[in-house]
Amino acid sequence: MDRSADTASGAQVRLRNLCKTYGQTAAVDDVSLDVPAGAFVSLLGPSGSGKTTTLNLIAGFLTPDRGDILIDNRSVADVPPHKRNIGMVFQSYSLFPHMTVAENVGFPLRMRSKLTRADAQKRIAEMLALVQLSHLSARYPRQLSGGQQQRVAMARALVSRPRLLLMDEPLGALDKKLREQMQTEIRRIHRSVGTTVVYVTHDQSEALTMSDLIVVMHRARIAQIGPPNALYETPASAFVADFIGDSNLIEATIMGVVGDRWTVKAGNGALIHTAPPAFAASVGDRVFLLIRPEDMTVRPSTSEPQASREQGEHIVGVLKERSFHGDVFKLGVALGSEMLKARVAREDGAAFEVGQSIALTWKNGAARLLPATGDDDGSGRSAAT
Amino acid sequence: MTAIAEQAPRAKSVQHRQAMPALLLLPALVWIAVFFLLPLVLMCWRSLAAESYSFKAYWIVFSSPLYTKVMLTTLESASIATVLALLLAYPMAYTLTITSGILRGLLLMLVFIPYWVDIIVRTFSWLILLGDHGLINVLLRKLGIVHGSLPLLYSEFAVLVGMVQILLPLTIVVLFGAMLRIDRTLIAAAKIHGASGWNAFRTVFFPLSLPGVYGAALLVFVLSLGFYVTPALLGSPRQTMIAQTIMVEASELLDWGQASAAGLLLLIMTTLIAAIYNRYFSLDRLWGGSDA
Repeated sequence: MDRSADTASGAQVRLRNLCKTYGQTAAVDDVSLDVPAGAFVSLLGPSGSGKTTTLNLIAGFLTPDRGDILIDNRSVADVPPHKRNIGMVFQSYSLFPHMTVAENVGFPLRMRSKLTRADAQKRIAEMLALVQLSHLSARYPRQLSGGQQQRVAMARALVSRPRLLLMDEPLGALDKKLREQMQTEIRRIHRSVGTTVVYVTHDQSEALTMSDLIVVMHRARIAQIGPPNALYETPASAFVADFIGDSNLIEATIMGVVGDRWTVKAGNGALIHTAPPAFAASVGDRVFLLIRPEDMTVRPSTSEPQASREQGEHIVGVLKERSFHGDVFKLGVALGSEMLKARVAREDGAAFEVGQSIALTWKNGAARLLPATGDDDGSGRSAAT
Repeated sequence: MTAIAEQAPRAKSVQHRQAMPALLLLPALVWIAVFFLLPLVLMCWRSLAAESYSFKAYWIVFSSPLYTKVMLTTLESASIATVLALLLAYPMAYTLTITSGILRGLLLMLVFIPYWVDIIVRTFSWLILLGDHGLINVLLRKLGIVHGSLPLLYSEFAVLVGMVQILLPLTIVVLFGAMLRIDRTLIAAAKIHGASGWNAFRTVFFPLSLPGVYGAALLVFVLSLGFYVTPALLGSPRQTMIAQTIMVEASELLDWGQASAAGLLLLIMTTLIAAIYNRYFSLDRLWGGSDA
């Protein structure tokens, strides 16, 4: 694929203290974000968390109440959407029903480039080849499947070689298998065109597989920004831990600190040692203890279901649920009123019976402390939403 | 055997489902049969019986220069009124689609209020406005723009003004309904991909609104063909439309056979126009697909 110099890199996008309010409700509340040039950045969050509003602010469909948006260090506050040189893929694809595939893909060229007719035809053919739809150029959108429409929408968004591509839950309407196929496809296209991508999704696994950087949004604010593995391994709050991946969040109280070793007491009385928290905390504070299910290992316990100081990092509970998932067993272990999840190897899971007393242990450093207040910290005004 | 046994109850429920719509249609069908089809048959019979069971009454309609002229006037007035109504209604309907909430409600009220006023009342109000001593002429005289008065009333102009005013609310509502079905994110898609507001309208919104325009055009045109009160009150004899002629035949000349023949021909012509029009402006073709 020929890549001319002007499209070799994507745009750098900066959001500066963006605010957008509808009536009493803050849709986007003081959002600041740096999107590096050429990166694939996902805005991830539950519905109503402000991710689509943020995207529409970048596109220019909405005007921020406060704050600024800089594309390549230039404020776009006074630039209407059609002059922002952005490509966009909509959730419903939004292909023009009265135009053929080729006309849809050629639309941005017709509107904004000074290409000759022959050059435009060549570019359209190039884009259709990129999304592997060359044979369908004369069809109308309604004659295509959902996945094909999705590809046409990609081709249309990229044809004028925008430096920024916005995608609003583009795979939401596809079934699981096609979605996974398109995820790979979108990554491949992103690598080949080098455009900066801002991708909105509520699907955490989609964000984890596709993104260079994930922005977790919660209640109109940014909860955390980081690369996928960092968000998974070191979530800053219970919300992020819970939203990204499977997690055990155990309510606990800080009991004591000896050097780098912190001791907390779980709800049922078990004492657990952890590394120091990444936030300011002191003895007596309520915290969450995070342990990922796949970090748990199991062994039989002869003792009664209770804490055992001498054995260090482990919790004893009663096996309540066991389900087979092919490669792993998922276990549900009751610890007082809480149910802990563990994901263990096939042979480990098979060794236990439901109702049996079981000891859960975990790798050193797998247990992390998170603030109990989490992201609700000082955001009482948005809690009303 | 078991397969048949299993299918039997399903076949029964299918029958039920087919019987249901027929039952629901029945009241309307009975109404149409008694108050539309029956009179139509009677008209047909009368038009033939009047001239000792021949098509002579029909021949008169075709051969008389009076009917030809009236018919041409009718087609002309209806066509012009339709085009004018569409031109005036389109911007209003578009405005309705881009407004929302209280403003849209208010605008819709403004559209509907005249619609609720009786046609005769609305037509009479034009007499007051357009007459020699009407508001417009008086104003123009007071401003010294004209001496004497403009011959506004009893003209094609007056008939068209009256017709368009009566047709407008319906045209607006039909266009508005069609425009509401246009997905607004398509406009956003056009804009983000480089289309200015005008270009987005020109290349996306307008083409997608055309099926609605064609539908409204047919509806309004067919309605215009049957106008009676407006040309009768606001026009001169030269603006006579077919409904007036039929009325004169029936109520003044008492030639019911002739009136029936003319009426039936108007009905046939209208149906033909609608059928031909539908063939050329079918929604399928406009949408470029098969299931519009």
